[in-house]
Amino acid sequence: MSTELNPYLPKPASISSVKNESLETKTLRLTLINWRAEFLPGQFVQLLLPGVGEAPFCITSSASDSKHIELTIMRRGIVTTASQYIRPGDAVGVRGPLGRPFPLERFYGRDVLLVATGIGIAAMRSLILYILENRGKFGEVTLLYGARFPEDLVYREEVKSWAERIKVMVTLSKATEQWSGLRGRVTDHLKALSLHRDVIAVVCGSPTVMGSVTDELINYGLSRDNIFVSLERHMKCGIGKCARCLIPGGLHVCKDGPVFSASEISIKAIGE
Amino acid sequence: MLKISKQELLSLISELRNLGYEVIAPIRSNVTAKLAPLSSVEDLETDYIRVINSPKDFLLPSKEPLFRYRSTATVTSYGLKIRFQTVEGPCPVTIVPEYTPPKARLAFLCIHPCMANSLKYLDSVMLSEPADPYYKARREDMFVAVLECEEGDEYCLCKTVGTHKVPAGYADLMIRKSGEEFLVRSTSRRGEELLGSLKRTQEPGEPKELVPRLKEEYAFERTDEAGIDERDSSKYVDACTLCSSCTVTCPTCYCSDIEDRFSLMDPSNVERTRVRMSCQRKCYSMIAGGTAFLNTKDARFKWRLKHKFPFSERAYQLVGCIGCGNCIAFCPARIDFRKFLGKRVA
Repeated sequence: MSTELNPYLPKPASISSVKNESLETKTLRLTLINWRAEFLPGQFVQLLLPGVGEAPFCITSSASDSKHIELTIMRRGIVTTASQYIRPGDAVGVRGPLGRPFPLERFYGRDVLLVATGIGIAAMRSLILYILENRGKFGEVTLLYGARFPEDLVYREEVKSWAERIKVMVTLSKATEQWSGLRGRVTDHLKALSLHRDVIAVVCGSPTVMGSVTDELINYGLSRDNIFVSLERHMKCGIGKCARCLIPGGLHVCKDGPVFSASEISIKAIGE
Repeated sequence: MLKISKQELLSLISELRNLGYEVIAPIRSNVTAKLAPLSSVEDLETDYIRVINSPKDFLLPSKEPLFRYRSTATVTSYGLKIRFQTVEGPCPVTIVPEYTPPKARLAFLCIHPCMANSLKYLDSVMLSEPADPYYKARREDMFVAVLECEEGDEYCLCKTVGTHKVPAGYADLMIRKSGEEFLVRSTSRRGEELLGSLKRTQEPGEPKELVPRLKEEYAFERTDEAGIDERDSSKYVDACTLCSSCTVTCPTCYCSDIEDRFSLMDPSNVERTRVRMSCQRKCYSMIAGGTAFLNTKDARFKWRLKHKFPFSERAYQLVGCIGCGNCIAFCPARIDFRKFLGKRVA
């Protein structure tokens, strides 16, 4: 039976390069062997490390390259820890692309606010690269990127190059003396942005941060329809059969998400 | 319709076997009945009220290999807690999954109407796009003979959730007890062919609908998400031991986990296995970094009910509870969700 008929079978890929982003975070570049991944920003894949297991990761590379995908992985659990020992040339399995992407057509011609904290920036990189490749289609774009310590920041060089074409604000909640940029949490800087109310907001980070940022944006006067979040759950099957990613409201993060608008789900589903 | 003796009913079993079916039927096991592959026809139990397991255990086994693959990983130390350290990095070869589809043709004999309803629920979950290939392979060509229920016990609630009727297309044969004999009628072409093997002429006519007598009846109110969330469950969940009996014996609890399993003797031969998961466990809702969304007994108890009622109604336009009462009958803490969701009316 082919992988087309059995959605549980992984497709082959090999690691072409590994880049250290921070102490605990690596970006793996995968070359897909004899298949292409046609995806849009916001979709995810299930990465199978042989003998270790499978875990879902957002695709972080540009959607214009369907022969390669990049995954940014932070050391947290079983698969993510094993992925820290991966070397170029290693074989891995990939299932996907899965899930529903960002509704990009709704973003065209409008101002976009991207709020990412911690490793949440990984879920947004593909979207940022899409915006940069099609810069004319979007209005003013602001990236508000928050992390705790300076060493937690990822894509450091890239963020600098993004800043040439979109507005980038990086803030640290536990900054050291040497840090010259913004200090505090992302929520502290939302008000200073002087947003207008029909901006499209995209939020990704830890559940707590996503909940509080979404709350703040709704209080500010943004319509729930215009706020998008990318949720994290430990999806096992990725096709809505294992019910591990059910969220309040009865939606599956794997097939109904991972991108949701705040009008589709309650704040409780985003994070308490 | 046909009136047959028990001997003739048992002859249907060998007939089904000749057709290549594996016959699964209720047998007596300790104090309760269970569904099991029938080894001897005399074991067939027709005087039972509830079975501890359900067709789910055969259509979605609690441990099912999805595929195998070779990896060049080797075990370097015995570290069972920290599994990643036992493997010396991923392998530099391509993964070639080996997959053999399940072959069995299953025949469920003498299951109650509530269990036939559980098949309908599992179908709507597993056969919705994209269909689960393992479930589908077992589901196709399945034969179902339903034994109509006359009497329920104190835990049955089929009349409350309306599952005492067999949904159309979910039975090939309908069997009803009539004294020492059985009234059998076919409801599909396959059932008709099987009855033909008895070489008896069928009488026309439909028997009157049989509504089981229940010892207790309840009326549920506000089974929507807000309604369940607002209720105070402390009276019920305080005694909960988080043993997961409710999800194990439930005919429609299908949540699963997928993991890689390999023997320490031959770690290069890896089996990707689907195993049953329960929402009563902490790891069910845990994400990377250890954040769990269902942290209290209260949250897990309500989560299961929400999955049965509002979530299933939204996703599949079906109630996930089929009214068998297994989660009440086999709960060691005697937690009765019927009292939580409604009031006793009879």
